[in-house]
Amino acid sequence: MSNYLDLSILELNTLLKEGKVTPLMLVEEAFRRIEKDPEINAFITLNKEEAIKEAKALEGMEVDNVLFGIPVAVKDNILTKDLRTTCASHILDNFIPIYDATVVSKLKEKHLIIIGKTNMDEFAMGSTSRTSYFGAPKNPWNKTKITGGSSGGSAASVASRMVPLALGTDTGGSIRQPASYCGLVGMKPTYGRVSRYGLVAFGSSLDAIGPMSRNVYENALLLNVIEGQDDHDLTSSYHEIEDYTRFIGQDIKGMKVALPNYFMSDVVSPSIKEKIEETVSLLQKLGVTVERVDIDYIENAVTLYQIIAMGEASSNLARFDGVRYGHSVDDAKEVEELYLRTREEGFGDEVKRRIMVGSYLLSGENAKVYYDKAMQIRDDMKKSFEKCFEKYDFIIGPTTCTTAYDLAQDTDDPMRSFLDDVLVIPVNMAGLPGLNLPIGFSREHMPIGLHIIGKAFDEARMYQFASFLEKELNLKLDPKGEE
Amino acid sequence: MENKLSREEVLHVARLARIQISDEKTLEKYQYQLKKLLDEIDKIKEVKNYDEDFLIAPVDHEAKPTKDETQEEITFQDVKKNAPHTKGNFIEVPVMIHE
Repeated sequence: MSNYLDLSILELNTLLKEGKVTPLMLVEEAFRRIEKDPEINAFITLNKEEAIKEAKALEGMEVDNVLFGIPVAVKDNILTKDLRTTCASHILDNFIPIYDATVVSKLKEKHLIIIGKTNMDEFAMGSTSRTSYFGAPKNPWNKTKITGGSSGGSAASVASRMVPLALGTDTGGSIRQPASYCGLVGMKPTYGRVSRYGLVAFGSSLDAIGPMSRNVYENALLLNVIEGQDDHDLTSSYHEIEDYTRFIGQDIKGMKVALPNYFMSDVVSPSIKEKIEETVSLLQKLGVTVERVDIDYIENAVTLYQIIAMGEASSNLARFDGVRYGHSVDDAKEVEELYLRTREEGFGDEVKRRIMVGSYLLSGENAKVYYDKAMQIRDDMKKSFEKCFEKYDFIIGPTTCTTAYDLAQDTDDPMRSFLDDVLVIPVNMAGLPGLNLPIGFSREHMPIGLHIIGKAFDEARMYQFASFLEKELNLKLDPKGEE
Repeated sequence: MENKLSREEVLHVARLARIQISDEKTLEKYQYQLKKLLDEIDKIKEVKNYDEDFLIAPVDHEAKPTKDETQEEITFQDVKKNAPHTKGNFIEVPVMIHE
């Protein structure tokens, strides 16, 4: 039995170039691993037939880039032509996209092979992936624990070494938080760095697509592939195309880092604070200056997020009406009845709650009272981040307040899913890049992550910083323990 | 202060969201849950802003107009594949306007 998927991407690339490994061998191994451990429930739809066909078509072709022939998983809210895309919702459980998202076209151009569509919270709304219509994925470090969310299936697929890379999406922490719970590197790039064309919209001014990987270097490789301006997304940035690996390996001595007091307040569990303190000491030993700061408004992020994300969601999800695609009731007498009943049957509880609250917040005078105010505070929050970045290279803190908790834990509290993301939401508000780096384990041996926040479009330096720290920490990050 | 919304308030909000709630138990659950969410959201009123500037989306460039050219990217046959109810070259919907 081969174990190629435990090797690094650079090692695989060498073997592929030498012809000692073929893309088909990698694809077959990925499916073998997925089928061996169905309990993880990382995937909603597998792309087995097409993936094998694609792998065979690559045989004999020149290995022209470092990700050639590498299996990749794609979150199920990113459109894949002719491959079912459900957003983990009953309302889209029969939806077959008729075009590829820009990021998917880019993966295909570089000959990565899409293995399947990963499980997630319904329409990316949640922090545990338990709102999926297809059942929650399980954390590969301990199957009684959540993966986090909403990109929980993407996190589980990489953490369990089914695939080396996955795409996630992040509206309020949905790449970084599950990356933290599952011991991965997850990057939410600067807003606009990666095209959102073909991403099923949730909160359009917050949504970002980003890479999830086993280590920092491989994360940068995937961002190299998916970045870039796109005429199909008017918010995509005209910023220069970069090689995100170019600073990796360079020393971080002399860098200045801010640690906001709020990130070390009582909202965070003592064991996580302890690990952050250890990391701060290590950084100081490496010649990095770490200073405690206050950043205005970050403690208001959850309220802000609720208004902006739910408002935008209520508008974005109005398109699911049973007319053009997706689930539809068959016997409605009038069109209004078709909308009302289709949406009652098609959406789950979390989604319904958010659409209802969002509709309320945007209706009549409320739009002024809540939405306008939220956008003012959002601007203030962005300014307070910018002020901090005048003095510091990065802002750091814990990614999550706790480690991954029990799958069985209470689901009735409607605030819980927001509070899980309290430390990661500010980044989406300001459109900044944020990265999770694993820095150690709890007593129960569940992963703990460091959140690194950078200036807008400073991802390359974030990778330099994270990679240097990663090398110093040298953690064993395979839940199978075979590395 | 009441820790739940009234039935009518929830039904009104559901109506705005075009979502039917036909189950009494669900309706009752939403009375408490939506109230809890809205109370949290109300906290925004207490926050003092620096200034009146708005941030709608963190975009770093001016919007540029796209070329006004039509392209055949998607055909009706493509669209029809996902439509739940079709008749000939049309998507079928129930009655919209009564006489």
